[in-house]
Amino acid sequence: MPTPVHRPPQCVEVPPGQPVQPALDRTPDGGAVCLLPGIYAGHLVVDRGVTLYGPPSAIVRSDGTGTTVNALGRNTRLLGFTIEGSGRRYDKMDAALHIQGDEIQADGLLIRGAVFGVNVERSRRVRLHGNVIRGTGEAALGLRGDGIRFWETTDSSIEGNFISDSRDLVIRYTRRTRILGNTITRGRYGLHLMYSSDAILEDNRSIGNVVGTFIMYSHEVQYRRNLLAASTGAAGMGLGMKESGNVEVMDNIALRNTVSLYIDTSPLQLGDHNRFSHNAFVLSEVGIILHSSQRGNTFEQNSFHDNQEQVRVEGGGDALGSEWEGNDFDDYAGFDFDGDGIGDVPYELHSFSSKLLSRFPNLAFFRGTLALDLVDTVTHILPLLKPRALLIDRRPTMQRISVEVPRED
Amino acid sequence: MHPTRSRPKLRRSRLALGLCGALLSCDNQPGSTPAGGPGLAELMKARGLTEADVAAALKTYVPSGKRDEYYLFASGGHGGNLIVIGVPSMRILKYVGVFTPEPWQGYGFDTATKDVLKGGRRIGRDLTWGDMHHPALSETKGAYDGEFIFVNDKANPRVAVVSLKDFNTVQIVASELIQSEHGATFVTPNTEYVIEGSQYPAPLGGKYADLDKFNEMYRGAAIFWKFDRKQGRIDPAQSWAVELPPYMQDLADAGKLASDGWAFFNSFDTERAYGGNAEGKPPLESGASQNDMDYLHVFNWRKAEQVVQAGKTQTIAGMRTIMLPTAIEEGLLYFIPEPKSPHGVDVTPDGKEIVVGGKLDTHATVYNMAKIQALIEQKKFDGTDPYGVPILSFRESIRGQCEIGLGPLHTQFDNQGYAYTSVFIETKVAKWSLKDLKVVDKISTHYNIGHLAAAEGDTVSPDGKYLVAMNKWAIDRFADVGPLLPQNFQLIDLSGEKLQLLYDMPLPLGEPHYAQMIKADKIKALDIYKPMGMNAITHERDPFAVEGGKERIERRADGVHVFMTAVRSHFTPDIVRVKEGEIVHLHITNIEQAKDATHGFTIGSHNINLSLEPGKHVNVTLVADKAGVFPMYCTEFCSALHLEMAGYFLVEPKAASAKK
Repeated sequence: MPTPVHRPPQCVEVPPGQPVQPALDRTPDGGAVCLLPGIYAGHLVVDRGVTLYGPPSAIVRSDGTGTTVNALGRNTRLLGFTIEGSGRRYDKMDAALHIQGDEIQADGLLIRGAVFGVNVERSRRVRLHGNVIRGTGEAALGLRGDGIRFWETTDSSIEGNFISDSRDLVIRYTRRTRILGNTITRGRYGLHLMYSSDAILEDNRSIGNVVGTFIMYSHEVQYRRNLLAASTGAAGMGLGMKESGNVEVMDNIALRNTVSLYIDTSPLQLGDHNRFSHNAFVLSEVGIILHSSQRGNTFEQNSFHDNQEQVRVEGGGDALGSEWEGNDFDDYAGFDFDGDGIGDVPYELHSFSSKLLSRFPNLAFFRGTLALDLVDTVTHILPLLKPRALLIDRRPTMQRISVEVPRED
Repeated sequence: MHPTRSRPKLRRSRLALGLCGALLSCDNQPGSTPAGGPGLAELMKARGLTEADVAAALKTYVPSGKRDEYYLFASGGHGGNLIVIGVPSMRILKYVGVFTPEPWQGYGFDTATKDVLKGGRRIGRDLTWGDMHHPALSETKGAYDGEFIFVNDKANPRVAVVSLKDFNTVQIVASELIQSEHGATFVTPNTEYVIEGSQYPAPLGGKYADLDKFNEMYRGAAIFWKFDRKQGRIDPAQSWAVELPPYMQDLADAGKLASDGWAFFNSFDTERAYGGNAEGKPPLESGASQNDMDYLHVFNWRKAEQVVQAGKTQTIAGMRTIMLPTAIEEGLLYFIPEPKSPHGVDVTPDGKEIVVGGKLDTHATVYNMAKIQALIEQKKFDGTDPYGVPILSFRESIRGQCEIGLGPLHTQFDNQGYAYTSVFIETKVAKWSLKDLKVVDKISTHYNIGHLAAAEGDTVSPDGKYLVAMNKWAIDRFADVGPLLPQNFQLIDLSGEKLQLLYDMPLPLGEPHYAQMIKADKIKALDIYKPMGMNAITHERDPFAVEGGKERIERRADGVHVFMTAVRSHFTPDIVRVKEGEIVHLHITNIEQAKDATHGFTIGSHNINLSLEPGKHVNVTLVADKAGVFPMYCTEFCSALHLEMAGYFLVEPKAASAKK
């Protein structure tokens, strides 16, 4: 359910079935219009600093065309009511709610059955808090619109929303966006950042999306305490990154994804750096895929447990150009005689398994056996193949690293 | 013992057997090859090769004396020339000069090829480069026929015709109707037309209007260049165009079989953003990403041909143009929403469907021609765009979507009902079933994959077998050559159950956007020019051709005519005397008819290099405005006495000739 909101102390009430637009047009800046339980016709435009309030049982319903509610005024506030449906045109961006302006606020709304949920364009300081957005849930992902869509927008926040059954939550060409404590499920891109820098993404939960989070062409991103779970299927990915730099990935859990972390040409710029610290990569088909040999990434204190494959580097490259320190690998076969909590021999991952598996899929049969047994097996079959080091962590931790993220309330 | 632990041993022996069977020998002991060198095992060990590497090598190696199975014609990008590559060896066979002078071929140095380049002049300027994107082989009934190949220049809208008789550029045409292009070149199924669709909108015909008149004055257009196969030339007088709204039209494809008579164009920036990031507007890339969908343009060119015949056109910059209101009224043009910023629009081999990949999407969308035609017949439209073009429903035009992965771009086809789509963000090629719309395999490619080219993979009869992934910027792949990186072509084997990467080929020219792969035996190239004295552009005997024994120097009103022959190992005459300031016309015929008897010709310091293949005649005119002694010689190694194939070009000073 959406987060409850307060009814404005003073407002003009419009009974159900009556047109709302005249009341909105008559109300001066700073005033409020209140809806009552019941059905109202859509195509509303709020172009001034007016508050439109209603309980969840007050439903603004689309007539099946165009955008249902337009919030275009400085300080427009939409609180508590339900917006139901939109037109069906993708090319016209038919949305439940279209926002364009400054200081616009949409809190505690229930939005359902629209092609696009909330479409925010060329705005500043927009706030979307505690809304529930349920998409059309159409079987074909490509035939759904986005739950939330930001374009050319700055200094805005998306907080505590629940988004399901839509396509993407997509943030493009923005600065300083804060995305906190949202839950996104049963969609395509849980969170997609494109050309969006100085973003903070914390405490979000992506469950059962094709991709949990994808960060593309973006810089200076804080990514903390997020849960990325059940991104399965061929393109399934927990967190993906392309040509992005100065991303801080800390305290996240990536769980039961086809690939938990995918890194393609990140960082791109010389001098940029990405840090992956104290994250859990667990129960994935592949923990991390690096698209090619890559410099400028540090992996420290991460936990790699119960993955079918820990790290894979494509294109015959290796991960020796990344810093690996103090990670917890469940296939570490070393020892700690001096008892300092750090393995006495380095953790080394060798290339044969990923390379062979991709070329001879039959070998996947050997997955899940002890790593040393795999070495033994492979070298017996292919004595010519000299295993090549893929990554080396000289100080693997002997402790089980556990990561926790906030639970859903 | 744990039950699963005993299994590996069993599988181990079976697998080992399989690999050995496939790969000649698993003998670890140093053996010897028939040639007496080290054994295979030793070689593999020494070079650090895996069995898969060896398998790839065996599939690509073409020994001395054997030939490749396919030709790959790749655009040379902003190098402006065409590159011919053998498949599967990935050996470069030839560079063909097209938009950029190419001295080895004498291209842009003799009169005939200079005239070809002049055909591509724009706004009164000679252009010595081009931004070549998409080659199109000539087709008969939708299959490559191996006679011609067409290429485009995106920067300076032009289309060139290359004859595959001798791999020579024979014509360049330019229309100032449009100011840039990208939907080129694509041919209709019998090469009736070569399609050139514009990209960045501008006022048509080279007029001026400020960008604040963008919506009203700026336009796109698609030119249908009429190809006269008998003449081997585009006929500009029979060509025509259609005006389009000021969206950025992108790639195109011609319909075939079920969709014959139609052409398809992608578009982006239907927002009509035009940048202005220093004027308080979002940059173009952002402005063009505001909406969720752009418009697939569906155009009935066969019906348009009749509209042109009926004279319902306006002539702009010499091009008969169907104006947008006419195109709408006559029912020639329809739009269908397509996923944002699409790239490829690729018609399936049976012509029944059109596959569109959206760069920012995860799906390939399959549009169905029967559904599209039904909507058009029923006039069932979802309104119009701001210019009045009817819009068909996205949902009702598609058969479905295939979930490809992150960033599908271009699609090619094989003969088994599979499609192959390049996946940009994931950097992969996805193989998927057209019937079930399901991905069956994926292979990682190197970096920034763009187009791909399968064997005859965009025709009515694809071959399967091979696919080349065209990757931009070969980071970390080849020996370092400085910051400007070569491109990387990756050859992929389509014949097995799994896609297999066979070969990485660095391509040291501009970004080769697209390529086409044709069965080698379809091309019947000349080995010499016959009869002797042939002009390589007209493929007729040149009026100035010289016969052996009739070499001479004639002074005429228009200057000195030197009638010269070349034969191993001399030019006749080998001394040419002219006076300072004279205009000199050199007419040189290579009178040899042997395959390996190509000569070159240069006169030092005169920016001349000619190529004289056996039987070829070339003309060149120069002004001998600097007195001096200039050696002339053969630039192509031609025989043991090649160095001796030289002579003198003497330009006598004015003062000296006066004294005489």
